[in-house]
Amino acid sequence: MRFEVVKAIYQAGLEDKRVCFISGDYGHANTEEFKRDFPGRYFNAGMSEQNIIGMAAGLALSGMKVFVYSIVPFITLRCLEQIKIDVCHHNVDVTIIGGGGGFAYANAGVTHYAIEDIAVLRALPNMKIISPSNPTEARLLMQAVIKAGGPAYVRIGRGKEPDFELEYKPEIGKAGIVRSGDDITLIASGAIVAEAIRVRDMFKEQGISVEVANMHTIKPLDGDFIRARAGTRRAIFTLEEHNIIGGLGGAVAEVLAELPQRPLFKRFGVPDRWPDVVGSQQYLRDAVGIGAREVAEKIRDFLR
Amino acid sequence: MTDAIDTKALIAHAKNIRRTIVEMIYRAKCSHIGCSLSAADILTALYFGVLRLDPLNPNDPNRDRLIMSKGHGVAALYATLAERGFFARDELDLYGTDGTRLANHVVRNALPGMETSNGSGGHGLSLGIGMAIAVRNAGNGARVFVVSGDGELEEGSVWEALLFGSHHQLANVTMVVDQNGMQSEGSTETIVDIEPLADKFHAFGWDVAVINGHDFTQLIPAMRVSGSRPRVVIAKTTKGKGVSYMENKWQWHNGSPNDEQYKIAMEELL
Repeated sequence: MRFEVVKAIYQAGLEDKRVCFISGDYGHANTEEFKRDFPGRYFNAGMSEQNIIGMAAGLALSGMKVFVYSIVPFITLRCLEQIKIDVCHHNVDVTIIGGGGGFAYANAGVTHYAIEDIAVLRALPNMKIISPSNPTEARLLMQAVIKAGGPAYVRIGRGKEPDFELEYKPEIGKAGIVRSGDDITLIASGAIVAEAIRVRDMFKEQGISVEVANMHTIKPLDGDFIRARAGTRRAIFTLEEHNIIGGLGGAVAEVLAELPQRPLFKRFGVPDRWPDVVGSQQYLRDAVGIGAREVAEKIRDFLR
Repeated sequence: MTDAIDTKALIAHAKNIRRTIVEMIYRAKCSHIGCSLSAADILTALYFGVLRLDPLNPNDPNRDRLIMSKGHGVAALYATLAERGFFARDELDLYGTDGTRLANHVVRNALPGMETSNGSGGHGLSLGIGMAIAVRNAGNGARVFVVSGDGELEEGSVWEALLFGSHHQLANVTMVVDQNGMQSEGSTETIVDIEPLADKFHAFGWDVAVINGHDFTQLIPAMRVSGSRPRVVIAKTTKGKGVSYMENKWQWHNGSPNDEQYKIAMEELL
């Protein structure tokens, strides 16, 4: 996804002289073009996330349109207060691109996991939170974010996500139907939508029709979609590569909890404890219970 | 701003500003008085002798910017902006009332001329660096001033910003340190010593001037200088400056005078 996102920002840089790009020493070869073609508008600010966010806000307060880019935990949590005050309170056009959502930096260990970012950033007024599922969607959503402007947080993968066909045109704040179905709805967000599609395929063999919805915008949340499904589905599930507390599942639960009547509901996410092993991204998903097979088994048990 | 320094007029402005500070904080029974009084001459010098701006056009893209990074000194900023004509002084009557937008720390656009929200230490310089890049790219000659406390320099983000500022030779940024030597619970020296401060800024690649922060003949020339590197003006100040019983008392970092103390303060500031 990162290549598509950086390409979209480069395109914006061509069309709009206000576009600035600040990297926290992250990006390697894929930011070279921006650096080469827009001198004075590209900065590798090194490892100084608090300064990066403050600077980005200062630029935006002076009329620039700013994109910052680093690995999720560093560019969200380390500089959280700068995001809160300098970006969100000032309500300026700064978009934070976080690479390595969820367990994308699987072998890197807990310092590099990004499984609490959404919970934390969701509580900041003015913030939009976008979590694309694959490269095509990342490109289209990034174009939409560029148009809409910040404050925004775009949580992407590491660059190895499989592409898959989308049956909808992604729109900020609107859930996308990745695969249709009418017994139950499985809502996912981010690269793990691919896992949700696998869950759906497993149920297909058993004659249960699973709708896979992609809640690529976690804030503002598509409450209308959730309310509509609450009235028509036997059960709703959420699946996210994020702590079970406060992320997509929590956000959907908040909507459902306030309805007078609701279907069965269960969240799948990373249990609230640190993984003590590392491995591939798939290994980690399976290890913490958010891999397709285990999710499918638990859904089956739950519906029984 | 013209080159001549009218010390007499500046002293009169600073006195009005100090009287407004004491009045506001006395009436509202809050909040940071000592560190507002220490900054009063710095802000007077900036707004009446250095900054190129038009109070009636506070969003002019070509204006010089002032970021009050020491947001707890907001009373000094309110009083100075009123004195400079950004708004009528009676706007400040709301300070300390329920429902007012006038907080005890700086909030962007609470009143005209308030550029940023500050109150958590160490945010201002990075904001200033960002603005400095933007105005440098725009080529409009605007300068950016960041007024920082000295206790605030304990925040690591300040030093990240200093590194970046010198690496990119942002000569249009000036940080003014209101070095009153005290923070919330005592002297900065006894809490976490920040000295030798000038050496540290030098080592980070910034030009440094150390001056008396209550002497306009030192303040204004030091802040008017625009060299080839970013600049720090270390303004040595007295916490509580102008009110004898508050001077150099860290206990007056935060607090409001009682009736008797208020009377004495206003007599001393005549």
